[in-house]
Amino acid sequence: MAIDSPLTKIKLLNPEHPNKSTGILNGKSSGLLNWNDIAYPQMYDLYQTLLSNFWKAQEINMQDDIKQWDHLTDTERDVFLRINTQLASLDSLQTPTMTMAMDYVTDSSFKAIFAVISQQEAVHNESYSYILSSLVSVAEQNERFNQAKSDPVVRKRNDLILDAYEEFRQNPTPQTLFQLGINSINLEGIYFYAGFAFFYHLARQQKMLKTSTMISYIQRDEMQHAYFIGQFVRILLTENPELNNEENIAYIYRTVDQAVQLEKEWAEYILGDIEGLDLDEFGDYVEYLANKRLRQLGMKNLYEERSNPMPWIQVFGDDMMNGTKSDFFEQKSRTYSKVSQSNGFDEL
Amino acid sequence: MGLMNCNQKIALVYASVTGNTGAVAEVLTERFRAAGFLPDVYEIDHFDINKLGRYDIVIVGTYTWGSGEIPAEMQELFEAFEELRRPELVTAVFGTGDSFFAEFCGAVNRFRDMLYVHTNLAATLKIELMPQEQDLVRCEKFVEAVVRRLVEADEKRKRKAT
Repeated sequence: MAIDSPLTKIKLLNPEHPNKSTGILNGKSSGLLNWNDIAYPQMYDLYQTLLSNFWKAQEINMQDDIKQWDHLTDTERDVFLRINTQLASLDSLQTPTMTMAMDYVTDSSFKAIFAVISQQEAVHNESYSYILSSLVSVAEQNERFNQAKSDPVVRKRNDLILDAYEEFRQNPTPQTLFQLGINSINLEGIYFYAGFAFFYHLARQQKMLKTSTMISYIQRDEMQHAYFIGQFVRILLTENPELNNEENIAYIYRTVDQAVQLEKEWAEYILGDIEGLDLDEFGDYVEYLANKRLRQLGMKNLYEERSNPMPWIQVFGDDMMNGTKSDFFEQKSRTYSKVSQSNGFDEL
Repeated sequence: MGLMNCNQKIALVYASVTGNTGAVAEVLTERFRAAGFLPDVYEIDHFDINKLGRYDIVIVGTYTWGSGEIPAEMQELFEAFEELRRPELVTAVFGTGDSFFAEFCGAVNRFRDMLYVHTNLAATLKIELMPQEQDLVRCEKFVEAVVRRLVEADEKRKRKAT
């Protein structure tokens, strides 16, 4: 397969082809999906995990945050709104991009997963609106969205992603789809984290916990998306060895590094006035994050190997997120008391 | 160390979806070989649970997604250990996960607590995604802990016999 030859939009139904696709790109596939007969059975696990994450914004009562809002400092309120609209902008891009990929991917199980991811991005998008509607007037919301659109730092970081997405839109080829995948990992796996850091930092001070609960749900979804896209890219490169060339490996390292630099720059710009957030430490954190993304792609670390410098940027435990936890995977096994190293084994 | 390692039957049984736990399984297999063992390595789908009782050492590897449930494909193995009634069986459990979840490698914790009650648990090992340089050192220590436990168990048996 030529990696630069255009991909054509596939027909909805190809009755002469098998249900189990012969490839994720340019494969023979009927277009019908039987989850019991798919090329990559692990995709069913991923699909189910995504579904079990289901949540919606209205389940979270914003009353506590509304009360606290007036007690935040002016800086905290300003940064809160700017980050909120900036994250909403990223999610707005991601929803249609995932459905765009669906038009060209020939394996129906992958299409289904792209559809679920797209739906979740729509939920995230809505949750930012829900938070805003609890806190400020529509006039101020719009002003904040306009601010996000015109902010030069925001634009610069978004451009990196947008260029790749637009390139695929204008010229869909295996090569541009690969590039879309890498940029999608940067968006979901790196660009969200300065924002996450801010909200979890407030949560550490017991501030705006309902917002952080939503952020936790969003982070949990985004982690799963980054896993999926990572798997998607790996399968794409395995099925199409022509794509697995030195230039593309260099592209991954270069693009991830650009995203890292842009995220650090954004953090300094947006979080510079927030007390108690160490930006050098956040810089290390972004590198740690990028290393993780690279390892998810089966590649080597680009930055110094370090353990998580900001472990508090973390999805809340089930006790904080009760009510929406699905019981798809609830198991009946008996419970054991927790043991540790002091019980006489080595914990490594 | 005077142990006839090759006479000790060792199984390494693991579940891996994205390949991270599989990569650790490979590293450990190689380390066990270097220590003189010949482990039978199985992906969980290819492991005959009825053969669990034939081994002297069983190493379990499991991935964790989300807040720490045991993967569905590992559930049967989990229950088999509960019903095995072989407290002398030396075990160890390793796994990969993501520290962004509230409970890092929760499935390893579930196995740890159960194996501690029902078997002779030697070690646990948790790794974030694909193993990094420093994880290789921890893999080495994991194998050492298992070997040490075997030596201890062997000495205990000898003391009993005399």
